[in-house]
Amino acid sequence: MKRRIDGTGDRPAVAFTFAGQPCSGRAGDTVAMALWAAGEAVLRQSSKDGAPRSVLCNMGICYECLVVVDGVTVRACTTLVREGMRIERGGRP
Amino acid sequence: MSGNVLDADVGIVGAGPGGMAAAAALAAAGLRVVVLDEAPRAGGQIFRQLPEGAHAHLAEPPSHDAGHVLLTAFAQSRVQLVSGATVWDVRPGRLWFEHDGASKLLRCQRIVLAPGAYDRCIPFPGWTLPGVLTAGALQVMVRGFGVVPGQRALVVGSGPLLLPTVTALLAAGVKVVAALEASSRWRALRALPAVLGNGTRAREAFWYARQLLRAGVRLQWGWTVFGCEGDGRVQRATIGKVDANGRPRRDTARTIDVDVVGAGFGLVPSIELGLRLGCRAQWNAVRGGHCLVVDGEQRTSVAGVFVAGEIAGIGGSAVAIAEGELAAAAILREVKGTAVPSAVVQRVQRERRAADAMLAAFAPLPGLHELAQPDTIVCRCEDVPLARAQAAAALHGDSLRAIKVGCRAGMGPCQARICGPSLQALACGQHYRAMDLPVVQVPLKVVRSATIVDAPTG
Repeated sequence: MKRRIDGTGDRPAVAFTFAGQPCSGRAGDTVAMALWAAGEAVLRQSSKDGAPRSVLCNMGICYECLVVVDGVTVRACTTLVREGMRIERGGRP
Repeated sequence: MSGNVLDADVGIVGAGPGGMAAAAALAAAGLRVVVLDEAPRAGGQIFRQLPEGAHAHLAEPPSHDAGHVLLTAFAQSRVQLVSGATVWDVRPGRLWFEHDGASKLLRCQRIVLAPGAYDRCIPFPGWTLPGVLTAGALQVMVRGFGVVPGQRALVVGSGPLLLPTVTALLAAGVKVVAALEASSRWRALRALPAVLGNGTRAREAFWYARQLLRAGVRLQWGWTVFGCEGDGRVQRATIGKVDANGRPRRDTARTIDVDVVGAGFGLVPSIELGLRLGCRAQWNAVRGGHCLVVDGEQRTSVAGVFVAGEIAGIGGSAVAIAEGELAAAAILREVKGTAVPSAVVQRVQRERRAADAMLAAFAPLPGLHELAQPDTIVCRCEDVPLARAQAAAALHGDSLRAIKVGCRAGMGPCQARICGPSLQALACGQHYRAMDLPVVQVPLKVVRSATIVDAPTG
């Protein structure tokens, strides 16, 4: 399945890990968009029932896409992906 | 520490159409301008640019021509743009922000707030499933990053922004299975004189109509989503007709297979920075709810604080550009004594009239609040289901504050930006009316504690 529009992915690859697995995006991607393009939609679990949550607003408003990058909780949609990042799923916002 | 303090004549929040227009005009007149923006590149949500190095031409409506002109002027100006900046506190002449993990301060004589707006969310069963996003989120995904949202999309909501969502999906090669506008065709026809009476808007409408026709996508009036289902991700959606007030007609329900849903029930002005500054706000249902009050030259009630675009009420990019230019002209009059061109004032008035007339045809439908079921999450940060919000309102009262205290809805990190605009209508079952003014708290957006502790002073 096609995950990027032709021509938009012609950027240097950026390697990182997500939930312990090797993963990659492109320079200029946010963490949220790199993961979406890699087929990873579930970014955190809700605190109450563990239900999967993902990107909602994609513009830094909703805090639904919280992930833990190198030990710090951040919004996946406002954080640019960088080489060597260790990204884990977030928990409670 | 000095590297973390910036000085400018004018500090602007937001590099969308309003912020860019104000910044370019002020810089052209020789003022030192710093623009703080949270996105990776200038453009705002409406004129999002693909990341540097990405090569693709996505079909764009005619209104984006003005965006390209503005982006070029902005890039060639002497404006200092700080991308990836999260503003977390503001006082007259002071903007505190987090940038690249550092705590920074922008000191300036005047402030222009152009933070834009965000999608109005109306909860429905299954809206927390991965793959259910706001309409704006899908546009950002496609136009800002070139990422394909899914294979089979459902677009639902109300208002003019459904069309760019559909065309963004089409540009990404996504099959748009259904595009549902909750308003009735007859209600929407009221927008027609405003659209046809304004050449730019008429061309815009024609462009969208042609795009949809070419792709075989038909906008279904008086329809919406009743719920979404799926195992860990949206796989199916139940859709159906609504009555003239937006109440679901359950007997019309049918199920379709989709893997992505974009929902946008209009926009809500982002007024938090203005409220923190103490700027006067007033309710305007057509313009999206609480809006900052301005005089005829984009001044707020607080000296030295100007606004442009959606923060003064939803109006779209043409309004924002005109208001950005007017705010700049008003500042230049204060600083240099130059006259405010009457043509700019008139353009703001003309664009506002056209936008108001169009948006009036898509005013929120109160019956859509009946989509949520007792166990539907209404506050996603605190995982509060509708039944608990209703119980809190019954016990503590129907004010926003009472509902928050009673069930924690709106007390999470989004500070009720998502649930707040519909919380009272949902919890109290009342018809859409003037909601309580949201309560803003510092930090206005979540930042590291070190950012607050180490905040530069001065």
